[in-house]
Amino acid sequence: MATREAGKKMIMLKSPDGMEFEVEEAVAMESQTIRKMIEDDCADTAILIPNINSKILSRVIEYCNKHVPTTGATGAAASDTVAPAALAEDLKIWDAEFIKVNRATRFNLIQAASYLNIKGLLDLTSQTTIDTISDNSLEEIRSFLSTKNDYLPEEEQTIRRENQWAFQ
Amino acid sequence: MSPAAPLDDENLLAEILLRLPPLPSTLPRASLVCKRWLLLVSDIRFFRRFRRRHRCSPPLPGCFVPDRGGVSYTPTMDSPDRVPAERFSLQLDGSCYSNPLGCRHGLVPISPNLWKQVLVWDPVTGDQHHISFPPGLDGIANSIHGAVRRAAGDGEVHHFQVILVGVVEVDKQHVGVLACVYSSDTGVWDNIISVLIPFDAYTTRVLKFDLERQSLAEIQLPVGMSEEELLQLTVMRAEGGGLGLLYISGFTTQLWKRKTDCDGAASWGMERTIELGKLLSLNPEKERVRPLIEGLAEYNNVVFLTTGDGVIMLQLESLQFKKFYEMSDGFYHYPFESVYSVGNQHW
Repeated sequence: MATREAGKKMIMLKSPDGMEFEVEEAVAMESQTIRKMIEDDCADTAILIPNINSKILSRVIEYCNKHVPTTGATGAAASDTVAPAALAEDLKIWDAEFIKVNRATRFNLIQAASYLNIKGLLDLTSQTTIDTISDNSLEEIRSFLSTKNDYLPEEEQTIRRENQWAFQ
Repeated sequence: MSPAAPLDDENLLAEILLRLPPLPSTLPRASLVCKRWLLLVSDIRFFRRFRRRHRCSPPLPGCFVPDRGGVSYTPTMDSPDRVPAERFSLQLDGSCYSNPLGCRHGLVPISPNLWKQVLVWDPVTGDQHHISFPPGLDGIANSIHGAVRRAAGDGEVHHFQVILVGVVEVDKQHVGVLACVYSSDTGVWDNIISVLIPFDAYTTRVLKFDLERQSLAEIQLPVGMSEEELLQLTVMRAEGGGLGLLYISGFTTQLWKRKTDCDGAASWGMERTIELGKLLSLNPEKERVRPLIEGLAEYNNVVFLTTGDGVIMLQLESLQFKKFYEMSDGFYHYPFESVYSVGNQHW
């Protein structure tokens, strides 16, 4: 891996459930974790991604494929014809469709984005979670996140009293 | 992986909660979900990250004005984001009016004792830093202007800089401008830098202090602007970035931007105007006073204006406005733009 030829270099990503995904190196390097492995020469031709099953890994690769900056001949042609603002708008619409997944998948994507250090995907998945709960009542938030209220009534009262204005 | 796993992981939960909206009620409300959330959002390290994330998009909870023996605070937001006035009150020794020097990044620099010391106050955490004036500025300047800024960056740092600019009379034709920067990470003032400017430049030019190069430079105001008797002008961040000016001529607000052409020559260009008479339903014939600039919230792009019947807040993009006070007390307002914590009782 010490030398990198120009053009599309491919790399193999393996999930713990035995699936293999051949992706362009540039796409894989959307993950800062994988980028570091490649740059530090720690990566073999195949990289095992622990903890991320093939279903989630394929979604992550789909995200990276869409978000990898276009370079080279086709990239230059694309940026000649499409304005950056339009490209950004297109990505936003694509992201909104991409994140229409159930809660379990979204949480798995958050974990994957965090482990693989893909900032855009972490932003998208975390922000969507926050947007889902922001307007909800405390009870709804607890139920959505499977979190139990472990306050005693008097403890809850104390916290409410400290910032009473915030609960009006 | 179980569905609830990210929320069991402290780091991932922090990542998610960092994206909560920056409204003042956000963290107090989140702290009520469960004890784990309280511990996380009331952790000072989490709060610093939350504050840094919203460094350029803070809400505008209220304004500070000078008050006898301290500064007083008036909230601007509606419930449940209305942080009460007593939460941000500050009483200092003595009965003199304190002089706030302008708020930024959640910090309020105040000179409480006739230009000998600057107090940098963080109303949210309650932290106070007392910094003596640099020897060259101590008590000699006729007039002091100041600013504060928190360093940008991703680290754990929460250092700040204080910038003081003093004006001293040199002779009948000239004034001296002295500037000095304090950095909280070193705890010392840099060397004072100074320029001599003609006396009339005081009302016809903007003084630019380049923090990186540590240099002072004058920028001429647009032609005609300085002929006004009572100049209603404030420097602001122009729309789309860069140096801008907000200027009120009669009942018209003008927004100017400093532009540089391809040859590197800089000039002013008027970007747009806002007809305040029409917008605020003021009748220029009947109004006793024309609108005066009372303060500017730079990140929210909100200007505080005194009109005949009180102080209004005007958002410069949406042009939405609301009344802030029924009566103007004549003081300049120091808009406080900051996120809010759970409260400092947990730290």
